[in-house]
Amino acid sequence: MRSIWAVAVNMIKQALRLKIAAVFIVLLLVLLPVMGLTMTGDGTVKGRMQAFVSYGMSLTAFLLAMLTIFTTTYSLTSDVKDKQVYTVLTKPIRRFQFVLGKLLGVVILDAGLLVLFSVIIYGITIFLPKVLHTDEAQMAQIRDEFFTARMSVKPENPDISQELEQAYKKLKQNGEVPAGVDENPAARHNYMNELGRRIGLRRRAAAVGEELLLEFNNVKPKDPNQSLFVRFKYDVAVNPQDLSIYSKWVVGDVRQLRLAANFDTPIYSLERKDVIRTFREFSVPADAVAGDGYLAVAFLNVPLNDTAVIFPFEDGLELLYKADTFTANFIRAVLLIFVRLIFLASLAVFAGSFLSFPVAILLCMAIFTMANMSGFIGESFDVVGGNVSSVYTWFLQPILSLLPHFDKFDSSQFLVPGRLLSWSLLAWIGFSTLCLRALFLVILSLLIFTYREIAKVIV
Amino acid sequence: MEYAIETFSLTKIFSDWWGRSRVIAVDDLNLKVRPNEVYGFLGPNGSGKTTTLKMLLGLLHPTKGKAIVLGGDATDPQINRRIGFLPEESYLYKYLTARETLDFYGQLFKLPAKVRRMRIEALLDMVGLKAVANRTIGTFSKGMARRIGLAQALINDPELLILDEPTTGLDPIGTRQIKDLILELAKRGKTILLCSHLLADVEDVCSRIAILYGGKIQAEGDVSELLRHSDKTEILTGRLSPAAIEKIKQTLAEEHAEYTIGSPIDKLETFFINIVARAQQQAVPTSGAESKTQISNFLSAGTNDRANREALLNQLVSASDERPAVPDTQQVKSQPAPLSPADENLLKELTEQADSKPVVTQPTQTKPAPAQSDQPNKSVLDELTGRSGADTKNAHPGDSANA
Repeated sequence: MRSIWAVAVNMIKQALRLKIAAVFIVLLLVLLPVMGLTMTGDGTVKGRMQAFVSYGMSLTAFLLAMLTIFTTTYSLTSDVKDKQVYTVLTKPIRRFQFVLGKLLGVVILDAGLLVLFSVIIYGITIFLPKVLHTDEAQMAQIRDEFFTARMSVKPENPDISQELEQAYKKLKQNGEVPAGVDENPAARHNYMNELGRRIGLRRRAAAVGEELLLEFNNVKPKDPNQSLFVRFKYDVAVNPQDLSIYSKWVVGDVRQLRLAANFDTPIYSLERKDVIRTFREFSVPADAVAGDGYLAVAFLNVPLNDTAVIFPFEDGLELLYKADTFTANFIRAVLLIFVRLIFLASLAVFAGSFLSFPVAILLCMAIFTMANMSGFIGESFDVVGGNVSSVYTWFLQPILSLLPHFDKFDSSQFLVPGRLLSWSLLAWIGFSTLCLRALFLVILSLLIFTYREIAKVIV
Repeated sequence: MEYAIETFSLTKIFSDWWGRSRVIAVDDLNLKVRPNEVYGFLGPNGSGKTTTLKMLLGLLHPTKGKAIVLGGDATDPQINRRIGFLPEESYLYKYLTARETLDFYGQLFKLPAKVRRMRIEALLDMVGLKAVANRTIGTFSKGMARRIGLAQALINDPELLILDEPTTGLDPIGTRQIKDLILELAKRGKTILLCSHLLADVEDVCSRIAILYGGKIQAEGDVSELLRHSDKTEILTGRLSPAAIEKIKQTLAEEHAEYTIGSPIDKLETFFINIVARAQQQAVPTSGAESKTQISNFLSAGTNDRANREALLNQLVSASDERPAVPDTQQVKSQPAPLSPADENLLKELTEQADSKPVVTQPTQTKPAPAQSDQPNKSVLDELTGRSGADTKNAHPGDSANA
């Protein structure tokens, strides 16, 4: 352990004295306060804070990711290239201890810098409303919608398998199923997915004058006096003239209407006008939730509109209620970045264990980029048909699934809407990223570095 | 353990990208280095010397054959904690200072902090870099880096020292110091494998040599036997009168022997060292490594009293049969934690001396080894090794005597 520690300390000294880390530190120390002062967001104080936290956290995560990749690969590859390993590895230190020392060094460096910049971001965020002399109404909104950690519940996905089979049969009878789909399992799989998506989307859409009912289970607010927040985003078939949609909402246990019994819980109704393709929120008292955690949200596409309204699958509509504090959520968001940095350090150690500096950097950057846009890559292959699609399904998809999905869980996607990042979710992300992927890379790099020839034959 | 280093048909074939054999760097090498000998490994550039060393140390895998170092595998920490290695260039971390460098390597040997600190100071003093100990290695000249490289190889008081071209980049005085150090270490039971193509170096220090060419040993044996011309006789005397010379000529003529008579010529190395020593006595300013610090000074033969030289080296380096290579915890515990008042005074003197030393860019006033300042080093080193030489003044009671 002492040898590992000696290598780790040496690695930190290298990063700091060769000024690799200094460049990133200075950049962040300058940019974060400047961003705090200049970011405007949507013009409101809340928007300003959301913009600052979003960009501040993303920038910190990105620059520290770059720092991790550069420092680790440089440290490992330059030791081999400049032959310092000759004097180190002939001392009583095992090669795996040397590699683990490098990994530990960069993880400690990352931890230190992450704490420093998180404290700066947190401090600026907390003091921003005071500096901007926010009035009490705005402050209340900020407390409810930003300085909070709200549990997010998505509507129940209805079972569409029967409907899907029927739709497929109908299309086949009409001869509308493209040729080759039945023969090729991959093509059939993709075709059915696409068909399922269309049917699902139909259930998230409301034509003019129609009502859309979305049901939620397991809504468990701690206190019935707190507020529930319905967060939504409209997508439309045709853009309305003023880019806004008029709507009527009903929120509560609508089962009571069908039974025509006494109302145990109140049902709230409200009318709104909201711009399209933008996240909007409204709140209702939490006592609307039924005792068994059921809640329905009904949306009425009033005839004033002249377009169908769709709530996109991923983030079109969700229910939020306070479950934890902003500070606790912020700490977990920082840990989420830390998990990502440890993975990148493991990746860089793996690349540096057998590649030269430029090639190792290239590999790390390629994987980092792919992990950041894994969703986009997946979607882009979905639209390709035929043989290319089979290649994707059977070859590329398994490879992509080995990568972590940085874009799927991003710290700002939790902090900006004040959405809860639960310990269990963080633990799951940590387990799948570190215990499965990073550990695999580290073990591989230890094996490679232990058995490779460190010196070159020079004759 | 019959041999300190033994190789069996050690072979290294360098293959190209497609796995085709290209160059036979080392060919069926059977090297045998006995304990406590200075073994010279000679050969022209590209003869496979360094490749052999790299295989001995596990930095390269042999294509065929096996190498046994100190009775085991050199990649085993139990074995390589007893080895000191100086590669052909001092591959050190440029961003670390000289002191941090030695501390880093000391930590890899798990030396206790106190022992480490004392060894570092002693080694810095020995290689003449105490005044620049807090400068980063990146700012060092090649010779200075070489000295630190040597110091790192000695940090664990190794039983076996493998030196690859140890004198490259060093001035003649540094070269001479290293050669003297090798001889002194050999006297204390160390085994030294010296790899070089500088014949004068090898000739001066090695007891046995092997000449390598094309990856094979072409000749091996004792230096004196290999170089002796048994068909010639050499007589060296003081200055003779012309009459005496005439008499000798007559005698030689009677023997029908071919002969030459003249005055011997100094080696350039000796001449150079005399000139520099004279300049140092006149306090000519210099920068860079000091070749006249207390311990390094005693390493330059002929300029200091021999008793002091041996005492200091005794404390820095112990004979392998008397003490484990790495001081164990028991030894550390057995040392008195607080320094005795006498030692404190000496340490103070040492520190003051270091403080008062001008930095290298300023003129350095150096004198050849005042006997008074030899003492502090000795006592500090006594503390360091927990032992003293028979000729050391500050011996601790109970310490074992050395060779």
